Amino acid sequence: MEALETFIVESTVQEEGEAYRSIVSDIITELILGGAIGRIKVVVRPEDSLFQMAIILRGSQPMVKLSDIGSVETGNIVKKEVKISITEEKYLSELLELLWARYGRTKVFQPERNTLIINAEDTDSDIKFLKDMVVADPRRTLQSRLVEMAIRATPEGFRVRYHSMDSHKFVFVASEDPLKPEWIQEAHQMVTELMEEK
Amino acid sequence: MAAILEPYIYEGGIHKHSLITELLEDLGGYLIQKVPAATEVTLVMLIPRDDVHLIEELGKKLLGKLTRAPLTGTEIAVVSPTLASHHLPHSACDIAEFMRRGGANTNMIGLARGMGRRVSLSDNYERKLINEHDFALFSFGTFSDCIKNKKPKLLEGITIPKIVTGGPCNLKTEDVANADLYVGNIGRVAHRLRKSDELGALDVLLEKVVEVVEKMREDIAKDPLAVLPARVMKEIHEQIPDIFNVLSPAPVTLQLDGLRVKLPYGEFHKKVENLEFDEGLKLSDMAVITPSKMKNYILVKIKRESEVGFTA
Repeated sequence: MEALETFIVESTVQEEGEAYRSIVSDIITELILGGAIGRIKVVVRPEDSLFQMAIILRGSQPMVKLSDIGSVETGNIVKKEVKISITEEKYLSELLELLWARYGRTKVFQPERNTLIINAEDTDSDIKFLKDMVVADPRRTLQSRLVEMAIRATPEGFRVRYHSMDSHKFVFVASEDPLKPEWIQEAHQMVTELMEEK
Repeated sequence: MAAILEPYIYEGGIHKHSLITELLEDLGGYLIQKVPAATEVTLVMLIPRDDVHLIEELGKKLLGKLTRAPLTGTEIAVVSPTLASHHLPHSACDIAEFMRRGGANTNMIGLARGMGRRVSLSDNYERKLINEHDFALFSFGTFSDCIKNKKPKLLEGITIPKIVTGGPCNLKTEDVANADLYVGNIGRVAHRLRKSDELGALDVLLEKVVEVVEKMREDIAKDPLAVLPARVMKEIHEQIPDIFNVLSPAPVTLQLDGLRVKLPYGEFHKKVENLEFDEGLKLSDMAVITPSKMKNYILVKIKRESEVGFTA
């Protein structure tokens, strides 16, 4: 599936749908969701105070472990040091947060940009643990960004919301009145239609 | 009869800009606002019509630029049904910015419960606050159904002229109940307005707002104010030095028929009421001085000649 291969925004009046499409595309750009969304369909019916959105996500990325972004080895044995060499700087800040939380700031050193030294108690078990440590989980941040996108894209005031996230299918319905079951059904129908495309 | 004053904005270097303000004072004009920014300065002023060329010539020598700013001396309420942070940037922000370029002072007002359709409403306090301004600009959204059927209730109870902006360009002013003017093509967008058609729409809005203001000025001229708001401002600067301790960008904000003095009402309203004029008059003879709904400020609304019997 290509990124954003289907991008439909519909409204009762066609021009208003196009204007709303620009709002949705701005929000997608801002939250860097362009690459994650495969197909998206939004329907706004202002006369019913209804907003529906169906999204099919592209295959999600796996979790990032420390061994994926650098190497962990024994440093100075006498001082019981563990040395981490980073190859992908992108995740450095997340990694530092995790290390500070586990060892405390006084035991984590960064002698130069891509090298971290940790004063560990038991170097062998720490190395084993650190290698498997999850540094970042794109799926979790993706989910929170999707929710953020849904809230931003909804017309202000539509505070009654329904959402469902099923592996890579995301359905969102919002209104200012109690949600009718058929609206939610329609949205689920939309996501099924998107799946069946091509 | 006082000289006719024309509103202008001077933009230039801060070096020797006091020559401009001195000349302006000699000519009998008024400096309304001075905004220094590093080495640049922006002067908003009222210049006697016959002497504009003098300031223009001096400005040229100082390598500055003098442009006409037709909205000078107006205070505009830019009202948005919501100023929620997750919808930033609001198009209302750009509208306010454009009005300021025209010389106006703007106040952004985000209604507490203005969002939505059925649930949208405005508070009595909010309506009173909006009514203190010269006119109100309501920034609505993309859907004509909302603008026609649901949002006009926000305009109820607003007694000043109401200009509505929204996305649909095929709506007419008559379609929006209670509105005095509708300007399209400025709906909800999730980015700053910078494309040429968006800026074009803002230009149209500014043009139409200027027309409304000119009409309001004409209406006032039929039964003139007892004293010019700019003159009251000058007297405040001379007689109440505490105004110089106010950190707000416009400590005295001019309106078409009055001014807002950004000093606490309790402490200073007597001083404002007792402001003396050369003619032997006090401000309280010529104006109604009340506490403003905005913070604890003082609101001065100047009476008309027909009511007072003279002009100062």
